[in-house]
Amino acid sequence: MSSPLILLPGDEVPSEYLPSKSSAPLRLGHGLRLLSQPHPTPGSTPSNHTLTATQPGILSTDNKRNAVSILSSSNRRYIPTPNDLVLAQVHHSSADYFHCMITPQSPHALLGQLSFEGATKKTRPMLKQGDLVYARVLSIGLGAGAEAELACVNPATGKAEPGGLGHLTGGMVFDISTGMASRLMKASSSSSDQQDGVAGLVVLDELGKKLEKAGGFEIAVGRNGKVWVDCSNSEHDAVKSTVAIGRCLTMIDEHNLNPTDQRKLVTRILREMKIESS
Amino acid sequence: MNKEALLSIAERDFILDALREDVRLDGRAADQLRPLTLSFEEEHGHVKVQLGKTSLIVRISAEVAQPHDDRPFDGIFNIAMELTAMGSPAWDNGRQGDLETYVTNVLDRVIRHSNALDTESLCILKGVSCWTIRADVHITDYDGNLIDASCIGVMAGLQHFRRPDAVVKDGQVIVYGLDERVPVPLNITHKPLSVSFHTFDEGKLVVLDATRKEEQASEADVVIGMNNAGDVCYLSKFSGSPVDAMVFVTKTTVALDKVKEINGIIDKALQADLAKRAKGGLAEESRAANDR
Amino acid sequence: MGGPIASLNPLNRADGSASYKCVSTGSNILGSVNAPIELPGRRDALKPEEATIEVFVKPGTAPGGVGERYIEGVIRNALGRLILGRENGYPRRGVVITLAIVGGESVGRGGSYLPLLPALLHTAALALLSASVPLSMTLSATVLAVDSSGEIIREPSVKDAKAATSLHALAFTSKGQLLLNESEGAFDFGTWETVYERALAICHGTSTLSSDGDVAMTENVDSQPLEGVLRDTVQDQIHSEYAWKIDAA
Repeated sequence: MSSPLILLPGDEVPSEYLPSKSSAPLRLGHGLRLLSQPHPTPGSTPSNHTLTATQPGILSTDNKRNAVSILSSSNRRYIPTPNDLVLAQVHHSSADYFHCMITPQSPHALLGQLSFEGATKKTRPMLKQGDLVYARVLSIGLGAGAEAELACVNPATGKAEPGGLGHLTGGMVFDISTGMASRLMKASSSSSDQQDGVAGLVVLDELGKKLEKAGGFEIAVGRNGKVWVDCSNSEHDAVKSTVAIGRCLTMIDEHNLNPTDQRKLVTRILREMKIESS
Repeated sequence: MNKEALLSIAERDFILDALREDVRLDGRAADQLRPLTLSFEEEHGHVKVQLGKTSLIVRISAEVAQPHDDRPFDGIFNIAMELTAMGSPAWDNGRQGDLETYVTNVLDRVIRHSNALDTESLCILKGVSCWTIRADVHITDYDGNLIDASCIGVMAGLQHFRRPDAVVKDGQVIVYGLDERVPVPLNITHKPLSVSFHTFDEGKLVVLDATRKEEQASEADVVIGMNNAGDVCYLSKFSGSPVDAMVFVTKTTVALDKVKEINGIIDKALQADLAKRAKGGLAEESRAANDR
Repeated sequence: MGGPIASLNPLNRADGSASYKCVSTGSNILGSVNAPIELPGRRDALKPEEATIEVFVKPGTAPGGVGERYIEGVIRNALGRLILGRENGYPRRGVVITLAIVGGESVGRGGSYLPLLPALLHTAALALLSASVPLSMTLSATVLAVDSSGEIIREPSVKDAKAATSLHALAFTSKGQLLLNESEGAFDFGTWETVYERALAICHGTSTLSSDGDVAMTENVDSQPLEGVLRDTVQDQIHSEYAWKIDAA
């Protein structure tokens, strides 16, 4: 791919950038919309549709899925999108639902009291205000003022898929940008031996190596810009390790550090916090 | 709304557990201030304060007005602070919240009521005209400890500000433009600052300069206002769980150290700005005295 | 004369933010956008299918008043035409735009906000872009003063604005359509036409509509068209945010 194409709202997507396999229908992703010309000039080509951007960002095309979308600015408010994994906080509960906060100052999302692995009327979890759940966005509803619905279970299989969905106990939550959250998501779901890591992040591999002796850590990344970290396996440095991981992640996010600087930062913070690393 | 979203149980518990082990989320010690930077803009009395992730802008302005009837010898000094949605998405534009009232009140008590700015020196002609000095505090990012950050901003702004020169001739008040006569600095009597502490774990743990999350997880706050000489001009503990009296005694000593440290930072920034202006050929402007 | 200085995302807490400094008028604006957020007590908006746009202008050294409320209305109307308030997640929510005048001469009570309007609009547009609020297109704006001899002054200083016989603030969409036109003072149609041509040239570079070659020429020498300044600012920001991806490719 040549240099990336950056579009601003109102810019048309040049047709040569679109995936060329014309058999399958083109999938329009985030940040783009289809406009039809109201008055096609007579004698012009039949294609009187144009694709225009609605958000600033890099045009990203996927030839395999025949999809096109905009990668927009990373520092923005999260808007629920189906199938995203999020870190939600229970606000209150009603007869059938837990009302959860995904982002502050946004409407609550609904989480069914039975949408947990193995939950029945008798065994459903008793969550109270302030409890954290790792959940999947099931649907976002239709029309104005619709509420998003969450689930901690795959409705088809009845299992918590992928593992780890459900109530999170202990640990600590750190706030990161939404762009960083999606990068971390990529980096934590696939491990690679590349020098530059996945999505330009080596911090998780680096922390994993260094904290292995201390008992390792658990991490849950929510697309809503929250990351949950728990080191309770560690015997004496649990608190310090958690703080160190949180500081590394937020610093890398804020200063947009490259892999070399990420490694340096991890070493520096672990030394500063006096954590024995391997 | 005007309220930050509640912390989760996990965050609340973790902050407390960590403090019990003497660990803070940003790796600071309990009595350590976040990195503080001050920068001055070209305009006099326009200062930017960055305390960790909390940031604000203070602008001082002067206007000729009529003094209050009951105090004909005094000028007027006001501190105006309005929390807008810029500082935090939780704040509503145009609606006053509890935090706004609280911070404004503390600023008034620490700076205005301790007479840090000598208002008598603002009088131009008894009962007829005086200077009105206005300090506008714009909160641009809120991450805890608004009180101390605003105090630093207002005090630095007052020391940096230069008002136009004015004289009385034959009962007429003449105000000279900034380019006609060298503007005059304000008469600062002393440099009070506030230092805020937050308590945890039934008052056993006390931390200085709390971040937003720490503030939310804390049980109570203690604010001490004092100047370099150690004169306490403000002391408060409004709400929350009880705090042992010894905390006030020990923390007053800590506060004195911090006030000296912060005033040192302000002085350094002022001097650096002065040096910059002198280089730019604006040396006259910064000279204090006028030929009368 | 230098062009404006703009940057994206100077703030941490707000969903999107921008700072904008106009060198010729000396105005310096800081803007923030929070969107989409819930606005309690304002759920019965006039148009439930759309987002509610709120604009708040905060003067630097004075309490807000009627002048601020008026200009807020002007800005809200202009931006309302660009914001796609029906996109996913936006209906019945608020787009809260806060603009603080943090530098330059402040507008006195009853004073005109027209000289500041382009800077306010640019700041708001950049902040909306940084918050990734869906927009149909972007905008660019300028203000021109006509003095007693008929001379047009681009982005006048406070003194020039006071002395001018008429003041015109114009905004254009990124497609070149006239988005906003606010004028004050005495002028005739002919003057307005010249002002329009000149403003279009300032915002979009050489105007093909312009028959007056002179105007277009001087603008090219002056500086880059404003539309391009906005575009460059956003592109630079996206470039640095996605450096990890672009470098790897």
